[in-house]
Amino acid sequence: MANKRSRSAAALMAIALTVSMLAGCAGKDKGNGGASPGTAAPSGSAGSSPSASAEDLAPVTFTYFSEDPNPNWNNMQDDVSKEITKRTGVTLNAEYAVGDPAQKVALMAASGQYPDIIAAKGDIGKLVDAGGVIDLTDLIDKYAPNIKRVLGPYLSRAKYTTKDQAIYSIPTWAAVNEQKFVAGGGFELQHRVVKEAGYPQIRTLQDYEKVIKDYLAKHPTDENGNKNVGVSLNADDWHMYISVTNPAVAVTGGSDDGEYWVDQDTFEATYHFRRPEEKEYFRWLNHMNAEGLLDKESFVQKYDQYKAKVASGRVLGLIDQDWDYNDGQQALKAAGKFDQTYGHYPVTMSTDIKEPSFWPTGFMGGYGISISSTAKDPVRIIKFLDFLASDEGQILNNWGIEGKHYIVENGKRVVPKEVQERINNDNTAFTKESGIGFYWNIMVHYGDGAKDANGDYYTKNNPELIPVGYSDVERETLKAYNATIWKDLFPAETEFKEKAYGAAWNIQIPGEDEVSILGNKMKDITWKRVPEAILAKPEDFDKIWDAYQQDLVKAGVEKMEKGYTKYVQDRVALWRADEGK
Amino acid sequence: MEAAAAELESKPAKRAGRRFWRILIQQRYLYLMSLPFIAWAFVFSYLPLWGWTMAFQKFRPGRPFLDQEWVGLQYFRELFHDPQFYLVLRNTIAMSTMSLVAGFTVPILFALVLNEVRSMSVKRFVQTVSYLPHFVSWVVVAGLVTKMLATDGVVNGILMGLHLIDQPIQYMAKGNLFWYIVTGSDVWKEMGWNTIIYLAAISGIGPELYEAAKVDGAGRLRSIWHITLPGIRSTIIILLIISIGHLISIGFEKQFLLGNPLVSDYAQVLDLYALNYGLSMGRFSFGTAINIFNSIISLFLLFVANGVFKRITKESVF
Repeated sequence: MANKRSRSAAALMAIALTVSMLAGCAGKDKGNGGASPGTAAPSGSAGSSPSASAEDLAPVTFTYFSEDPNPNWNNMQDDVSKEITKRTGVTLNAEYAVGDPAQKVALMAASGQYPDIIAAKGDIGKLVDAGGVIDLTDLIDKYAPNIKRVLGPYLSRAKYTTKDQAIYSIPTWAAVNEQKFVAGGGFELQHRVVKEAGYPQIRTLQDYEKVIKDYLAKHPTDENGNKNVGVSLNADDWHMYISVTNPAVAVTGGSDDGEYWVDQDTFEATYHFRRPEEKEYFRWLNHMNAEGLLDKESFVQKYDQYKAKVASGRVLGLIDQDWDYNDGQQALKAAGKFDQTYGHYPVTMSTDIKEPSFWPTGFMGGYGISISSTAKDPVRIIKFLDFLASDEGQILNNWGIEGKHYIVENGKRVVPKEVQERINNDNTAFTKESGIGFYWNIMVHYGDGAKDANGDYYTKNNPELIPVGYSDVERETLKAYNATIWKDLFPAETEFKEKAYGAAWNIQIPGEDEVSILGNKMKDITWKRVPEAILAKPEDFDKIWDAYQQDLVKAGVEKMEKGYTKYVQDRVALWRADEGK
Repeated sequence: MEAAAAELESKPAKRAGRRFWRILIQQRYLYLMSLPFIAWAFVFSYLPLWGWTMAFQKFRPGRPFLDQEWVGLQYFRELFHDPQFYLVLRNTIAMSTMSLVAGFTVPILFALVLNEVRSMSVKRFVQTVSYLPHFVSWVVVAGLVTKMLATDGVVNGILMGLHLIDQPIQYMAKGNLFWYIVTGSDVWKEMGWNTIIYLAAISGIGPELYEAAKVDGAGRLRSIWHITLPGIRSTIIILLIISIGHLISIGFEKQFLLGNPLVSDYAQVLDLYALNYGLSMGRFSFGTAINIFNSIISLFLLFVANGVFKRITKESVF
């Protein structure tokens, strides 16, 4: 009896489910159909409303999404944003990515609901595929004199591909006429380590190893009896690139091209771990491990453990980028342990190799800002973007409001003392109030070291202002090496030939392409094999390395290189074609 | 003969139909109450099935359904031709089986022991302490585990102090230990929580049974064996069947958070594989294909487990 009843209940449930499922399917179909007109909107409708008046300052709100986070965003209530609203009438309703931005963009593409302005960085391909962004070529030509002026000949580097030469995003991540002044890479050593050694030249792996070894022999523990650590690597997830694998290219004199080494004449790409030179770098790391100079936990520690270790001041040397370990270093500064903060040294395999940190890439194009196909008034948006690209706009973003955040003395912009003090000590609150820097990646901009018509720098990162942020210990170390900034220790840009393709790492490869899939497989093999080789006994190193190379070949590395070479050569062709014009 | 049989069958069917409606009206409030849950299950479990179509298309987001290119079984072929897939499958099954075995026996044993504790306050205290870790997120647990197993961690400290080892061991770097570390931390985190349901089942057993056993001269162990365990048998079996159904979808938090490149040969599981080679690369179709494979295996396991238990123990979920 009970059994029968439950069976009929089950039957009812089944019927209910089937009926509503059918209904659901129908609904879904409708949903899809409804969305299609939006997504299928012709992408060529860009310049269709040229009737907008030239100086339209009527208040308007645009929605904006950025893949980069901005925790200080103040809903346009800061000084700079208010000024921008006053000048253009535009208010941005901005959303900054939290979590995985790639999925957010995929969701936008799938739903067909786009904000007016989108900064989709490397995921722009998804939006182009879905018809979510418009071609900006005509808009820029008609309404954006400033963008055209700043980008100049580089505008063509914004083109999507050789096949589809539309401009879907205006490059706003790369800077024009940029001259880098901040050396944030190379190999790092604590100031106390070089001081103890009497400031010897740090140029090769052996120099680097020796000062660490000597210091560790004399001071095996810190004042509390905790062991000092020679070198710690940061290998948690993608940090592996920064701290373990990219340095292998750098010390062998290659410019950063992501996972590849690109021949500068033939533009042939090689998966960089296949170069015999790099085997020797990893052999050195293996040797460091065998000597006990490499942190045993390098490959198991998580990022926060690494930062905590740096903050403890026990790590003598790092092989990392400053932005990657900066949290730890800030803690050292706050604790007044300035001799345990780090300096940067141009270490390579041997003295005849030039450290390539400052190898110029030229204007890289790449990541940028786009206007969606559902934006109501593309002309107004491009005019807004054009205002930001103007000298006024750039200086407003970089320096703030004249008379409040900077003053002009003898024709040069100067930050008053009390403002600088707030910047140094109360940075977050100051940024929130002033809004300085918020529009850096929305506007087309000149880079560090570029000067305006008055011979004054566009940005605050200039050689005159950098030493202001250094600590006394840092200055002492630099003085011992006859330098004023860290960059002085590195080979200058002029020693290299500008790369013809920017940087290979910002070439977009579609996810479905075999090159991407193979790349992911190689990454899995490399991330497993490289640590294994480093941690092995020195006599086993060759065996493991050979097995690793065979794994790569078996997984199809040659096919991947061939595919990637095509992408690099295509880009060279695309960029070169325009130089001729 | 056949016609007669059909006639015989149709009569009860008619009667059953009438009875069904009568019951429906009689119990209309109960049915009404269950409606929201049917809707819930439908929206979250059945509606997404529509997305399975993606596995057979070269899916590109933002395109209308009819504009998608159909590719048949291409993504399944890709999946089954990838040697990594089999490695990942091995890890998934190994770790889920281990956590199924450990995650089953330990809470039952713990519940039995706890049930024998006579002092109420001690029992409450132990119970509360043991299920607290359930509320700690995996991120924190992973941090604790890595810290404890680090070269300067507690475990190495104790072993060194006892002179059992003379060099600290890097547990997190050893692939062959990874499965045990995952299972161990899983048991620690969920043991107390999973005990609750067994304790509840045990408290449902009538005290007169225990008294009768006592009169018959049974000791503690005997009454556990003959009364407590059979008393919670149906609970155990139903939970077991359900967990077997989930065998292959063990999620990826643990492996993702505890793993590192050195142990990736042991740490990669199906869901991580779907994430790394599907979603993260924008290969939605490939990810869906993995998901479909996952669901089919789960269904298969569920039916097998259910069938086996139905035959052996006469207990089953459906």
